[in-house]
Amino acid sequence: MYAYIVRRILATIPVMGVVAVFVFLLLHLTPGDPATVIAGDYARPEDIVRIREQLGLNDPLYIQFGNWLWRLFQGDMGISIFSNLPVTHLIQQRLEPTIMMALTTIIIAIAIAVPLGVLAAWKQGTWVDRAVMVFAVLGFSVPIFVVAYAMIWGFSIKLKWLPVQGYTPIGEGLIPFLRNIIMPAVALGMVYVALIARITRASVMEVLNEDYIRTARAKGLASTTILIRHALKNAAVPIVTIIGIGIALLIGGVVVTESVFNIPGLGRLTVDAILRRDYPIIQGLILVFSGVYVLVNLLIDISYTFLDPRIRY
Amino acid sequence: MVATPTEVPLGHDKTVSRRAWDYTRRHPTVVIGLGLLLLMVVITLLAPVIAADPLFMNPIDRLRAPQEGMIFGTDMYGRDIFSRTIYGSRISLTVGISVAVLSTVVGLAIGLIAGYNRPFDAIVMRIMDGIMAIPAILLAIALVSLAGASIQNVIIAISIPEIPRVVRLVRSVVLTIREQPYVEAAISVGTNFWKILWRHILPNTVAPLIVQATYVCASAMILEAILSFLGAGTPPEIPTWGNIIAEGRTYFQRAPWIIFFPGLFLAITVLAVNILGDGLRDNLDPRVARRM
Amino acid sequence: MSDAAEIMDTPAPDAATERPIIEIDDLRTYFYTRDGVVRAVDGVSFKVHRGETVCVVGESGCGKSVTAMSVLRLIPEPPGRIVSGAITFDGRDLLGLREEEMRDVRGNDISMIFQEPMTSLNPVLTVGRQIAESVVLHQGLGKKEAADKAVEMLDLVGIPEPVRRAREYPHQLSGGMRQRVMIAMALSCNPQVLIADEPTTALDVTIQAQILNLMLDLKQRLGTAIIMITHDLGVVAEVAQRVVVMYAGRKVEEAPVEELFARPMHAYTYGLMGSVPRLNVALENTGERERLQEIPGTVPSLREDIVGCAFAPRCAFATDHCRAERPELEEKRPGHVVACWESERVRAAHG
Repeated sequence: MYAYIVRRILATIPVMGVVAVFVFLLLHLTPGDPATVIAGDYARPEDIVRIREQLGLNDPLYIQFGNWLWRLFQGDMGISIFSNLPVTHLIQQRLEPTIMMALTTIIIAIAIAVPLGVLAAWKQGTWVDRAVMVFAVLGFSVPIFVVAYAMIWGFSIKLKWLPVQGYTPIGEGLIPFLRNIIMPAVALGMVYVALIARITRASVMEVLNEDYIRTARAKGLASTTILIRHALKNAAVPIVTIIGIGIALLIGGVVVTESVFNIPGLGRLTVDAILRRDYPIIQGLILVFSGVYVLVNLLIDISYTFLDPRIRY
Repeated sequence: MVATPTEVPLGHDKTVSRRAWDYTRRHPTVVIGLGLLLLMVVITLLAPVIAADPLFMNPIDRLRAPQEGMIFGTDMYGRDIFSRTIYGSRISLTVGISVAVLSTVVGLAIGLIAGYNRPFDAIVMRIMDGIMAIPAILLAIALVSLAGASIQNVIIAISIPEIPRVVRLVRSVVLTIREQPYVEAAISVGTNFWKILWRHILPNTVAPLIVQATYVCASAMILEAILSFLGAGTPPEIPTWGNIIAEGRTYFQRAPWIIFFPGLFLAITVLAVNILGDGLRDNLDPRVARRM
Repeated sequence: MSDAAEIMDTPAPDAATERPIIEIDDLRTYFYTRDGVVRAVDGVSFKVHRGETVCVVGESGCGKSVTAMSVLRLIPEPPGRIVSGAITFDGRDLLGLREEEMRDVRGNDISMIFQEPMTSLNPVLTVGRQIAESVVLHQGLGKKEAADKAVEMLDLVGIPEPVRRAREYPHQLSGGMRQRVMIAMALSCNPQVLIADEPTTALDVTIQAQILNLMLDLKQRLGTAIIMITHDLGVVAEVAQRVVVMYAGRKVEEAPVEELFARPMHAYTYGLMGSVPRLNVALENTGERERLQEIPGTVPSLREDIVGCAFAPRCAFATDHCRAERPELEEKRPGHVVACWESERVRAAHG
């Protein structure tokens, strides 16, 4: 088991290495002088010189990469071109709303999607199953901002139940926090719910055909016990895997959702940085988001050892 | 076989329509998806006939609600949302199909070689894992913002994060096919690499690739709209669904129709492509479908 | 080995005086598929007495497993459905029970073991837990007592180091051990009837003998009646007191085991035996068990209406009468019923 875990941890190193190289090269892959690109259309020549200086663009590429990586290991992601503040500082400032929104979304999504998928698998071929599948296809097809604006129009403008936009930290009370977070979480979670429900249905359906389910029925166990103790536990590996892979969708969705609901998190920081071509921030954010994705998937790989004894031994 | 005499002369017509009907009954999703998609394509092609100039500004008719003569209403410059939405479908479909083709072709080439060449495989798959670790939206907007806003750059930027998915699929098919006895036999008697590729490997990748391409197309259309919506996609003067929605944001409380109609068109188009993909996947060999 | 012989010699309980523990009466289980109705079981009746071992024999697809699954009402529904008939357990009509009541019967009064020990155990739960699960459910024991009971059962079925094994997962056990676990699980609540669906088919020949002897030994100690589904005449010779032969969803012959081997009266049974039955040889030489002799032709499709005797197309004895009219079951000798027009010729051929 430990060999497995160590192997998984080591496997993340080349992945993050590729991400780092990619992030570093992003600027150099694009046509034209990076400093000019960053400076934008209305830059004065001295601005371009300053940016070139600041980013060390006069050094050979491998030295630039080495320096950049070395600073990265020391926790230095560079200085924002626009605000002159350290990137790590800017990211820290914006961390809380994004984490809270992501966590709320993940919890709500799993709580809805897994039972939905199990139900669909159990009631295979009935209208319940079909309804879940239709919902899943819709979840994949309706873009986040369409769901978001539809909800704002319904719940905020017409019914006036929820605030149109904004964010309240949970420290200022659970109810105000929830009132603000619920619509973003639902909009963000649609695709995620669709994805998880679909995989849950497919894997539970596959497990329900297994011989050991027949054994469990022959024992006289009730359907719910069979579904939860015998079927869901065996279907857990693909479900947990898709929960991990789906994090990528969630991260992408955060950018859109925070934009629509005006939430001051990492997603907004990303959009602002991109519109201002604040390259060090973009680099830092891509690294952080990719790192989170890799880390979550590492944890999920490790969780297999608890879910499947065949991996454990 | 008992056939009534009247059936004989009509036989040919009947089999065609009968077969189409049988297919529809067995795979309704494919037909519905394809139908919706064709409808969209027709609308797109007919844009110059059914729609007015999408860029024409008419300040007198600013922010008009949907009504006769302007069925989808107008935006803050008095531009006709119906015409803009119809023209917007061009960009969406162009980007969706271009990305599907581009990422499939590139992914197929990389995947075939990776499935065949061990050392190359090790390196390529690490790189693909790395790209997949970067959230697609982030990668695409970063690429567009750095390369400059144009439809061509949007297509390339969206294709890059989709390529690893295609590579993985192709590679897994190649690895499975390679172990088939008939392919092993062909290799052992020294059959030319290209011949094996052309005869055995490629035909087996076609079906799953078509399914994958529909999914890529759907996700590309959403990504394109998101890029435009965030202001990092196609230049704002081009009426794309994402751009129309982005412009309507400020006026959302007063004129929700600006966002509603392009949003609806986007959702229906993506839905059609997804339904088509699901239907095609259900026709696939289940062993292949499991990998998707 | 000696156990097996002893049980064989035990006379069957007097059918006239004692109520059978299981009575299947005119059972019909159909499957409604897209291509038509499959009459998997089409009017099967037989009885099992307390402590008796009845073997149900036939080729695959003859409906023997579906009969077994029907007793516990484990037929997947849809597409399957028990269309008519009655299954009585100890005087209770099982088909009339509500699902909750039926769950109380499963694994408690009647339990079942399956053909595939490799896949019939849940891979993510320890074997101890899987045995304990039944005990907790049916005997209301606490977790701790149930775990102890599981260890006790593992010991009973001859698994060495039961305490350690109880904490292991199925993939850590060999095929033979897994089947022992299945038996332990099935017997953990002292059922009155054990249905075993080809319990040894998937195992090595030497392990097969061990498992059969274990079942016979336990049956004698616990007094459980056994319905054994098999296509292996060697198994039949070894364990059965009475044999039910099935073909195309129907019972075609039923007799006490020695009677059947001595005087098969259905052409199909005769075909199954192939040559002179080597009853005693099979008993002494458990390692080399008789396999069913291949009968030319295939089992008929159960979707179509069968005119005449279902076996007629493959039968060496078939006449025009056989192809035109279906033979009904008839008691030719005490306890020996058969549905065959040509039973006299079959019997003569066998002698």
